[in-house]
Amino acid sequence: MLKAINLLKSYNGKKALDNISFQVEKGEIYCLLGQNGAGKTTTINLFLGFIKPDDGNAFIDGEEISTGTSSLNKKMAYIPEMVQLYGNLSGMENLDFFSRIAGFKYPQEKLSEFLTKAGLQEDAHRQQLSSYSKGMRQKVGIAVAIAKNADVIFMDEPTSGLDPKAMAEFTESCKELAATGKTIFMATHDIFNAVNVGTKIGIMREGSIIHEMLTTDIDANELQKIYLETI
Amino acid sequence: MTRLAFYSFIRSNSVKIGLSFLFLTGIISLFIGKQFIEKQKQNITDTAIYQKEYITQNVKFHKDDMGLLLYYLKFSLINEVPAISGLSIGQRDVNPSIKSVTIRGLEGQKYDTDLNNPYNSLLGSLDFSFVLIFLFPLLIIAFTYNIISEEKESGTWRMVSVQSKSLFKHINKLFAIRLALILVVLLLILFLAIPVLNIPINADFWAVLATSVSYVLVWFGICFWVASLQKRSNFNAVVLLSVWILLIIILPTAVNNYLVNKYPVPEALETTLKQRKGYHEKWDMPKNATMDKFFAHYPQYKKYPVPEEEFNWLWYYAMQQMGDDESLESSKEMKEKILLREKSSRAIANIIPTIHTQLAFNQIVRTDLHNHMQFLDRLDDFHEKLRLYFYPKIFENHLVEEENWSKFKPEYAVTAHQINWGESLLPLLLVTALISSFALFNLRKI
Repeated sequence: MLKAINLLKSYNGKKALDNISFQVEKGEIYCLLGQNGAGKTTTINLFLGFIKPDDGNAFIDGEEISTGTSSLNKKMAYIPEMVQLYGNLSGMENLDFFSRIAGFKYPQEKLSEFLTKAGLQEDAHRQQLSSYSKGMRQKVGIAVAIAKNADVIFMDEPTSGLDPKAMAEFTESCKELAATGKTIFMATHDIFNAVNVGTKIGIMREGSIIHEMLTTDIDANELQKIYLETI
Repeated sequence: MTRLAFYSFIRSNSVKIGLSFLFLTGIISLFIGKQFIEKQKQNITDTAIYQKEYITQNVKFHKDDMGLLLYYLKFSLINEVPAISGLSIGQRDVNPSIKSVTIRGLEGQKYDTDLNNPYNSLLGSLDFSFVLIFLFPLLIIAFTYNIISEEKESGTWRMVSVQSKSLFKHINKLFAIRLALILVVLLLILFLAIPVLNIPINADFWAVLATSVSYVLVWFGICFWVASLQKRSNFNAVVLLSVWILLIIILPTAVNNYLVNKYPVPEALETTLKQRKGYHEKWDMPKNATMDKFFAHYPQYKKYPVPEEEFNWLWYYAMQQMGDDESLESSKEMKEKILLREKSSRAIANIIPTIHTQLAFNQIVRTDLHNHMQFLDRLDDFHEKLRLYFYPKIFENHLVEEENWSKFKPEYAVTAHQINWGESLLPLLLVTALISSFALFNLRKI
């Protein structure tokens, strides 16, 4: 579903991505671990089309990113570290807005269903977003991704700042999405969450993927050890 | 989606405050315009009463001497103040709408005017044109300076970018929502002006409305262009406020300064001096010298003999006439210079929307310089008509009581008025199209 071949990206002569290659299959949750500045966000930005690679190719479902076609846009959703939505709209209105700009018009019941599925309690659906906590915003972000029915969901540090309960709910939502065949590509610092939610893990350092492993082959302690040795 | 974007925008308190402030200021401007119109109407009513009383009193005092009576009598000509001029007072606050003249030398009387409080002139009038030209752009800037940039800074833009099928359409919708709200306020103010100022719904009204909408479009074009640069909000704010200062303050002042220096009017003083000299020096000259010139101007009065006595009204009015005749050239030159200034400022205004809108407004509602110059031309005709009517009566010393003085009521000047739609709207629409095309070019790859 996702494929990176020798991606290269530099900023002012400093390599942010150094010939990285990887592949993520449909229904997989790929967690990219690494310190700040390792190149995780650059990788996501590149797939989302926010930046262009200096060299190499990136594909989503066989379609090259550089084409920038609208069919590519349809295939992906994005949940940033801080899901920033419109504060003057309610959670449901935000979901409706972001669905409509993606070309989907859902009835209120359906929108409510998406929000519930993403873990947002029902009494919050019609509250203005300005009163939401970070965790609640993240859930609206997930609902936006669900409603878009995108094949690939990119997540950039999505659990950062979430309380344990919210993190557990978030993890559950991700697993449910993957179970429906969605592919998740997540950049994170959180080793334990990566092991818990991911199916495959990549560890980045200075723009390169140093290690890549399946979560079935490793536990959190082993991963922590490898991670600390790598960075 | 448009509905939700509208809710997102309108639910902001700052938007509600901004729109309310603009609407309230617009309403205040209408009442200031109403006050101006009512004052002008009252002046016209008072003038008619004053003229009647003044004639009655003087006819009583000077019933034996037609020449002396007409030395004093003043006759008024009114430049009608249309109700719509309350929207743009223009030069009517300094150029009088009523001129009361005797049949003596006209040039000296043309520029006699009521005293104006200079502080009022300094502040200007808070009429609708002021609200539109000065305040509407500020709110347009406040509503649009951070489109794209605010979303980028807050992080919403990335979500929008990934979700949206067309970012270009998304940006257009955000601008369209703001444009629609501003236009609603504009139209509300203008349609409220109809009952408040008692404005007839005619071509003048539609021309003001179309010019106002075009001016608003210019500012949206400018904001659209700045947003298309995709810089940070503070950069956009600084650029847009600089453009506001440039278009509202610096360029109009610079253009005025340039025109005043390029077309100086020394003829203004020259005309006054020549008129005074033309009249006063005749007292010390042989009567024949004055009378010959007078008869050359009015050959129909050659039948009246050159007076031999020390003082005679024929000679006196001939001297007065010479004041006008001898200052005629410089008066014409002054008028030409003033009209040339007006023409040049209109030409320059074609590329400066703020000046253009003010001039277009004043032209539509007849408060412009051109209208005043026409009024002065009609005053020439009016004065000449009075002279030609009274000269024979004075020279033949008709009895005062034989004249039907009640027929001399204030008259209304007929000035030509035509709306040139192309001239009013085209420069604004072209500027909008040009700036918007730059913006579209910038956003072509968004």
